[in-house]
Amino acid sequence: MTSLAANPAWHWARRNLFLKPFDTVLSLVLIPLLLWLAWSFLAWVVGQAQWQVVLGSIKVLMIGVFPDAALWRAKTAGALLLLLLGFAFAAAKPATPNRCGRNAVGVLATAGIVSAIFGGMAWVLPGAVGGLGAWVLASRSDWLAANVGRACGLTVLLVFAVISPVSSTYWGGLLLSVLLTLVTGLLTIPLGILLAFGRQSEVASIRILCTGYIEMIRAVPLILVVYLIWIAVPLLWPSSNVSDVVRGMIGFVVFYSAYAAEYVRSGLQAVPNGQIEAAKALGYGATDIKRLVVLPQAMRVAIPGLVGNTLDIFNYAPLVFIIGLTDFLRAGQMILADPANSGKALEVYVFLFAAYYAIGGVITYLARRIEDRVSRKAEK
Amino acid sequence: MTAISLDPGTDAPPAFLPDRRRLRLLRLRRTVVQTAVVLLVVGAVVLVILALQSSFAARGVDFSFGFLDQPAGFQISEGVVPVLDGGVALEPFSASMTNAQAFVLGVINTLKMAVLAIVLATALGAAIGVGRLSTNWLIRQVCFHIVEFMRNTPLLIQLTFWYTVVVLGLPSLKGAVALPGGVYISRQGTWLPWFHLDTAAPAWVVIAALAGGAGLLAALIVKRLRGKALVFGAAGLLVLALAGGLLTLDMPELGKFNAKGGLKISAEFIALLLAITLNSAAYIGEIVRGAIESLPKGQWEAAAALGFSRRHTLGDVVLPQVFRVVLPSFGNQYIGLAKNTSLGIAVGYPDLFNVFGTVANQTGRTLESIGIVMVIYLLISLGISWIINRFNRRLGRKEKRS
Repeated sequence: MTSLAANPAWHWARRNLFLKPFDTVLSLVLIPLLLWLAWSFLAWVVGQAQWQVVLGSIKVLMIGVFPDAALWRAKTAGALLLLLLGFAFAAAKPATPNRCGRNAVGVLATAGIVSAIFGGMAWVLPGAVGGLGAWVLASRSDWLAANVGRACGLTVLLVFAVISPVSSTYWGGLLLSVLLTLVTGLLTIPLGILLAFGRQSEVASIRILCTGYIEMIRAVPLILVVYLIWIAVPLLWPSSNVSDVVRGMIGFVVFYSAYAAEYVRSGLQAVPNGQIEAAKALGYGATDIKRLVVLPQAMRVAIPGLVGNTLDIFNYAPLVFIIGLTDFLRAGQMILADPANSGKALEVYVFLFAAYYAIGGVITYLARRIEDRVSRKAEK
Repeated sequence: MTAISLDPGTDAPPAFLPDRRRLRLLRLRRTVVQTAVVLLVVGAVVLVILALQSSFAARGVDFSFGFLDQPAGFQISEGVVPVLDGGVALEPFSASMTNAQAFVLGVINTLKMAVLAIVLATALGAAIGVGRLSTNWLIRQVCFHIVEFMRNTPLLIQLTFWYTVVVLGLPSLKGAVALPGGVYISRQGTWLPWFHLDTAAPAWVVIAALAGGAGLLAALIVKRLRGKALVFGAAGLLVLALAGGLLTLDMPELGKFNAKGGLKISAEFIALLLAITLNSAAYIGEIVRGAIESLPKGQWEAAAALGFSRRHTLGDVVLPQVFRVVLPSFGNQYIGLAKNTSLGIAVGYPDLFNVFGTVANQTGRTLESIGIVMVIYLLISLGISWIINRFNRRLGRKEKRS
């Protein structure tokens, strides 16, 4: 009896599962239920699920109807995106010697499994090696660490340089979702900064214009804004031939810059007034105060919110179905529309959920890490 | 060696104050910028109007709202529209009704969905938020993973999952799941027993029921009557109405291809309600958890010292305070939720945006319709924030008084 009470596992269970009668009842109901759920799901995944429906159409899911002749471009873009992820991790969670090895093994193992399971995804391995290299280098080298933002920008430009020779009408699948998120996430930051400063401007017309824009956009649904822009561009400029993808991107940028502006504004409000007064006393001009004193401090507060905004953009990217684009989710639905695949909805949905959850989880993790680093820096 | 005089107020004005000329220049610059911005905006608006005019002229149409009075020419199976026909009656939408009535139906369907989802998501969200701080490790973990999953996957995939996999995976009407009490669940929809208003009931019943209803409403407003008394009052009223023949219980009956009677809840409605409620509940749960954690620990300790059980501490000490803190965040969530009902088009629920899509397709009046729909969504968002602000002010006043 005494040996049982001294057992740390028993002690833990006592405290966390059977503290009170009500907790005990809950635990006694939940433990078998959860075990049964986990067991039947596992049995389904291993035994009954016909994964051929996903494995056979992985190309459509990943890149849509991308022409086969230019497949290498999509693969290079994918590898470059992993490189970008490496840079992002260097900014969020720098590599330390004892963290390096363990994480490298985990990442390479995951990449190996992915490239072994899915045909045509061998690019994941060099991409993962590149990403790990970027992570380690950008964490260890001071010069690269200081320029990690520029490195990210350069990688994004490279991605688009590789992909843009293929007409955007062929962009689709997960690649389209990621590209849309990248473009929107990056363009909304400068626009958000301008709108946030505009909202605080001393010039009444600018202030009213920016406030009106932000509040109006935030009151209407994204799907409506995307559709409006898609309709309005050819109406306003009939001779232009802007592709659906670009029009969709414009719609997303128009919508999400209003949200980015609010995150930046919360950062601006966090800058103490004394900073501005001190800069004035030192003879700084109005533009220099904003650029050199206020903005760097405001962005430190705003960046976690802006990364969270990126997750929102990625999570609402499937709404491009309204203008006829085939993103990741839509590609899965198109596979299910094939009568040969009827009855395999669960397989496709489990795969889509897993992929979305993995990517969303990575973005959430990055946002949390950056928030931690920023608050620790501020304490110093 | 000359003495350095520290005595101020000799002649020149203090150097750190901007002089008059600089101030005047600043003001001038501001005026110039102001005028330039106004001119730019006016110019842009004129350009947009000109471009639109030439586009419309090229297509041989004009910008007008005349289409609103024309018959819609399409069917919507869900919801009812108020029809002014001598009196006010609620009728299902038919093809001979106007486009304006189609928009009204869309608004009603959107509001119906939004209000129901707000109520359910708030209740479920509060439960999840409390569950994340449960003393039971399993409950904490389950709630945490539900929240993480809901927040890290797109709402649209959750919605299409509920629709294509869960709701459309139900048995068809023939083999509908029959629950005790006359509830039938099937792929075509769910049927519940519902009340049928019989206006031919004796006059004394109608008068008594109206009086009772007014009394309950008044009690609700002046807040004399609460909790159990209110429930008993409502139940008594219901029994009276049923016994007097004012209300008759309408039980659904399964037919071969359709069910008759009762209240039909469409498959699309259920899928959209499930998706939006669960998704918003996850966000609301996080708000509630954050608010509970931000409460000083002393509140828990004081309640424990006074002999409160954990349940009573939560219900009587913690949650009333939390409610005050979270109200503005709830308002933001509610606005987001109302906007998310526009995803109904993905499963074919005829909400405002879906109706707009059909009307725009049928009439070709896309731009005019978008204008109308934007204004309506704007009003809905403003309405929600107005209501939340009122509640907030009332709560704030109460706190000051005590």
